[in-house]
Amino acid sequence: MYEIKTSKLLKQVMADYFSATKNKSRPLAWCTSVGPAELLRSFGFEVYFPENHGALLGATRKAMDTIPVASKIGYPSDICSYLTADIGSYIRKSTPLTKHYGLEAPPKPDLIVYNTNQCREVQDWFTFFGNEYNCPVLGIVPPRHMDEVKKEDIDNVSKQFRSLIPECERISGNKFNIDKFRETLKLSKEATGLWKKTLDTSKHSPAPISFFDATIHMGPIVVLRGTEIAKEYYRVLLAELEHNVKNKQGFVANESSRIYWEGMPIWGRLRYLSDLFMQHNSAVVASTYCNSWIFDAFDERHPFESSAFAYTTIFINRSEKAKLEILKNLIDEFRIDGMIFHEAKTCFNNSNSRFGMPARLKEETGIETLIIEADLCDLRFFSEEQSTIKIETLLEQISS
Amino acid sequence: MFFLGVDIGSLYTKLVVINPENEIVHSDLFRTMARNRQKRDEIINNIYSKYKIGYTCSTGYGRKLLKSADVIKTELYCASAGVTQIARIDKTIIDIGGEDIKLLTSNSNGKVIDFYMNSKCAAGTGAFITEVAERAELDVLEMSKLAANSKSDKELNSFCTVFAKTEIMKWIFDETSIEDLAKGIYISIANRIQKIPADSSLPVFLIGGVAFYHPYLKNIIEDRFNVEVTIPKNPQLINAFGAACIAQKHFNL
Repeated sequence: MYEIKTSKLLKQVMADYFSATKNKSRPLAWCTSVGPAELLRSFGFEVYFPENHGALLGATRKAMDTIPVASKIGYPSDICSYLTADIGSYIRKSTPLTKHYGLEAPPKPDLIVYNTNQCREVQDWFTFFGNEYNCPVLGIVPPRHMDEVKKEDIDNVSKQFRSLIPECERISGNKFNIDKFRETLKLSKEATGLWKKTLDTSKHSPAPISFFDATIHMGPIVVLRGTEIAKEYYRVLLAELEHNVKNKQGFVANESSRIYWEGMPIWGRLRYLSDLFMQHNSAVVASTYCNSWIFDAFDERHPFESSAFAYTTIFINRSEKAKLEILKNLIDEFRIDGMIFHEAKTCFNNSNSRFGMPARLKEETGIETLIIEADLCDLRFFSEEQSTIKIETLLEQISS
Repeated sequence: MFFLGVDIGSLYTKLVVINPENEIVHSDLFRTMARNRQKRDEIINNIYSKYKIGYTCSTGYGRKLLKSADVIKTELYCASAGVTQIARIDKTIIDIGGEDIKLLTSNSNGKVIDFYMNSKCAAGTGAFITEVAERAELDVLEMSKLAANSKSDKELNSFCTVFAKTEIMKWIFDETSIEDLAKGIYISIANRIQKIPADSSLPVFLIGGVAFYHPYLKNIIEDRFNVEVTIPKNPQLINAFGAACIAQKHFNL
């Protein structure tokens, strides 16, 4: 049976990362997953990502217990389920980090920083914890839903990046050092470059890494980008996958179809969905989600401007027109037969099926498209049997 | 040589045996009885002893349960295959079952071009009718006749089945006639269907158990959507028939 051996290393890398957050001698910042992690690291902050915790709550299905707890204090279950799962976990004093990484609770922040490039929900989510921990909360608020990102937008956002410096200096006790920022950004760019190459191995057939596996292997690019550790991890993973490509080894030996997953993972049903596609020899080879941590634009010569540009041009922050073009290119590059749009009930911002995109994409590219209604964490919004019939019908459409 | 299609639906299991000319030579319909597989197996085994079955295709919610199936297909593909056997044209098929509504566009060769299926809520399905009719003290088997005698356009607004039951209580308090109650329930189903994207220029085929027990829905959909609607003979057997046609096709591959 096909398996990615580097998974063992992944467990160690993630365990070490969480272990490092216990180190009280270093300042610790919370940051959104596509927030200014490199800038924070340049001040010596350990960086913790609440969205990673949200995903863990979803994958372990603990979110089903914690979401109702948040609902009781006024965060209803139809807003972001990362937010409700995480806040509920905090109130309940129960986290899967204990079982998996030996942490009693998520590490306490000295500083909280968000970027609303993905959604406004992160602002309210992080503000809740700012109040709870009596901790400063800083935010970057870029222009949203861009056709293209212009110079004035970059000026605006890079100015906001710079404005974080005084508070970062005060809390970390370290003066801003542009060389450290450049070095961190360079490491981050190298890691994301390796991550891109990792995902791109699945342009080959048989593909060596599925979307479902990639959602697990993306851990280091989210939580450790800007470090040597992330870079090294993806060097090892990439080498294994390139070896598999060379030996024509993939997770589906004879691919009957190649599928693109658009939108968030359904964390609590990754295994079920992975098995379902495998039963039909269908390979889910690419996704918007995993591609979201590729930051080609980082340039250590212009660290502020390139960070501003990279974090403002992320897929989720683009217009429907720009998103359509990005998806069309990926369909072409990965030789996609069908696209599944996950319409996440609690994640309006990362659901791209609500403004006619599936129909437009089908018309322009000829691939089959399907909308699955579910959620990232809240499985009450996922009807397994109905979704299975829909997916199997899509696969029948492709094969007939 | 004969071919068997088995549609294991949420409420009823339907069986169709066809000959090589795609003609139905036998059909059966019985409660799915999820816990009593023995009864189902007995009925199916009788078919195997009576007919020389080349291939069996199973479909429906329980499609993966039938061990003797040579082919497993979704209801949407079987609906398309079954209706295409009757009408080799581009068409819209609306299949209203016990717990779901499926709407699909199918071409003259039976390929599914587009499809929709409810997956969040069962409003507008057979279960919806049963629930609301029970609250309205209507006999579900009489509803179609009653609705045909109504001139009302009153409709249930509630999306939720449970709230629709509350809403219909208000109608009863207001002494709404049973004819208008029946029609109101049907209109709310048509409203659900109306929101589903579909090519309105195509003729519509209405299939499934709801089409069988509530044929007046055809008139309401025709009036509301201004399209020609056909309910084929034995609409609840179409998916099993389509499955049998697919069984034959695969046997001959």
